[in-house]
Amino acid sequence: MIRILARYSILFVLTLLVLAVMSFSLAYLFPGDVLANLTGIVPANDEQRAALEKQFRLDRSYLVQFFYYMGDLFSGEWGYSFTSGIPLREEIGIAMPATIELATYSMLMALVIGIPLGYYAGMRCYSSSDYIINTTSITTYSFPVFWFALLLILVFSLQLDKAPLSGRISLLFDVEPVSGFILIDILLSDLENKRLAFKDAMSHLTLPTIAIGAISTASIVRITRRSVIDAKNQPYIAAAMSRGLSGGQIFFRHILRNALLPILPLMAIQITTLITNTMIVETLFSWPGIGNWLIQAIYQRDYPALRVGMLAVSSLVIMLTITVDMFNRLIDPSREKYEHAAI
Amino acid sequence: MPQFSLYEEEFHPSPWQRTWRAFRASHIAMAGAVLLAIFVIFAIFAPLLTPYGANEQNIDGLLVPPSWMGNGSISHLFGTDSLGRDLFTRVIYGCRITLGSAFITVVIAMLIGVSLGAFAGMLRGVRSSIANHFPDALMAIPTLLIAIIIVAIFGTGLVNSMWAITLALIPQFVHHTRSLVRSEMKKDYIVASKLDGANKWQLFTYSILPNMTEMLVVQGTIALSIAVIDIAALGFLNLGAQSPLPELGAILSDGLDVTYLAPWNVALPGMTIFLLVLSINVVGDGLRSALRKRVNH
Repeated sequence: MIRILARYSILFVLTLLVLAVMSFSLAYLFPGDVLANLTGIVPANDEQRAALEKQFRLDRSYLVQFFYYMGDLFSGEWGYSFTSGIPLREEIGIAMPATIELATYSMLMALVIGIPLGYYAGMRCYSSSDYIINTTSITTYSFPVFWFALLLILVFSLQLDKAPLSGRISLLFDVEPVSGFILIDILLSDLENKRLAFKDAMSHLTLPTIAIGAISTASIVRITRRSVIDAKNQPYIAAAMSRGLSGGQIFFRHILRNALLPILPLMAIQITTLITNTMIVETLFSWPGIGNWLIQAIYQRDYPALRVGMLAVSSLVIMLTITVDMFNRLIDPSREKYEHAAI
Repeated sequence: MPQFSLYEEEFHPSPWQRTWRAFRASHIAMAGAVLLAIFVIFAIFAPLLTPYGANEQNIDGLLVPPSWMGNGSISHLFGTDSLGRDLFTRVIYGCRITLGSAFITVVIAMLIGVSLGAFAGMLRGVRSSIANHFPDALMAIPTLLIAIIIVAIFGTGLVNSMWAITLALIPQFVHHTRSLVRSEMKKDYIVASKLDGANKWQLFTYSILPNMTEMLVVQGTIALSIAVIDIAALGFLNLGAQSPLPELGAILSDGLDVTYLAPWNVALPGMTIFLLVLSINVVGDGLRSALRKRVNH
């Protein structure tokens, strides 16, 4: 157990280190002058250039620069955005929870709907209800997420006028950001009309969550169904049947838990897709999340923002993936010993 | 003396023939295959099948509705866009660019991924550990993020977005190749070849690669559907193919400006992407269950 934990922590730290190196080297890879990319200032004369180089330690060796960069990252001085002039740490601190919130609700939706449906379809495999579920899931899975989100906007926001078009909450409500999660913030705040604010935030959340969640749900249904069918064909199920266990007993005592095990590592792969979809949907709904923020940054060629934003998002995804994988390794004794940490 | 050989009497279908039979038995899979074949034909023969040029403008016919609507005309089957370009022509060319570049992307990713995966699968010890985990962990980075970084370094364009998607697809191939090579290396026929004195290269090319083609075909269809969606998504976000180029995502994002006036400019390219991805997924699914049936019997 301790060995597994140690192995995963080493993997995690080394990966983050590689990511930090990549993020550091981006300043040199971006087109144009390194100094201008880092500071946003095009030096007017040589003296100013020399002063700026000294301030940003560009006159030192790469290694020294990298150590200072790491130091800055840890002390929270992530630099300033070109476009807004606000410290990047603050901007990411607001944008990141918004994305995590959206992704969490979509994942919850996918789990709550997807796993029971997958079990149902898997237990009745090759029946007509299974075909219906399977066909629906493969169709939903094929929707390009941006088109699906556009259709939702066209139908529910513009035609039926049931849901708001963009943003997280109506501007009428002034919610103090504490945790960064809008629903929790509303509950924590001391607004007079909390209930209304909550309802408003929910109506803003619904469409983006459905747009992202539908596609995740479809893939979870497929994964679960496959896993249940595989578990059903195992010899221990035949043994249980020959001992005369009822269908319910077989399902609850043998299939339910055994089918869940292979789902977990596949869900780790889903996280990456989930974050990509969230980032795309955010731009369509003007959701103030990290995806929208990064895409605005690339439109503006805001290099310091891209550099730190890339590090922040990839660290988040890798942290999630490694945690899920480690959890899976800890609870699944059947994974072979020599097969080390893998995602 | 009877002139027959017991072994020549019976017809033994090859593994691929048996897979094809199982595939053909499923109507849904066949429908998907036909749809995909139509898309492929459209993609290959686009210049012969389209009535206009991809960027040819008809200034007298801006935003003409599709032919099945009341005031549409048959000279523009899918109507025209805000610059008077024939939408049918652009969608067909769009299939060509999107499907073609997705296909190239998948082939490159497969070549690189399989070679890296084979290396990682055959190595032992610390080197194997490094070769296994770093690609895995680093490639958990979302596609869109890789694309954003590549666009920031090299600028926008279809080719750059293809590179980004290649980078994002490689780890899947590495992962699957590696686990397959590892499990095959433990089997008896590999031990037998080893005892015959085969070196690692011979082991890989003569013994493991033939057993890997099926996995590669199935993974290839999955990767193809991901690549199509991602290329279209990057085109849609203006990070990939740029506007005059008829790429399905870029056409969709052009149409977004005139959604109210001409909803078919959004509906039809989106529908095409959807059908394209659906047909690839259905074929991939059918292929997978056909292979499973063959292995089980």
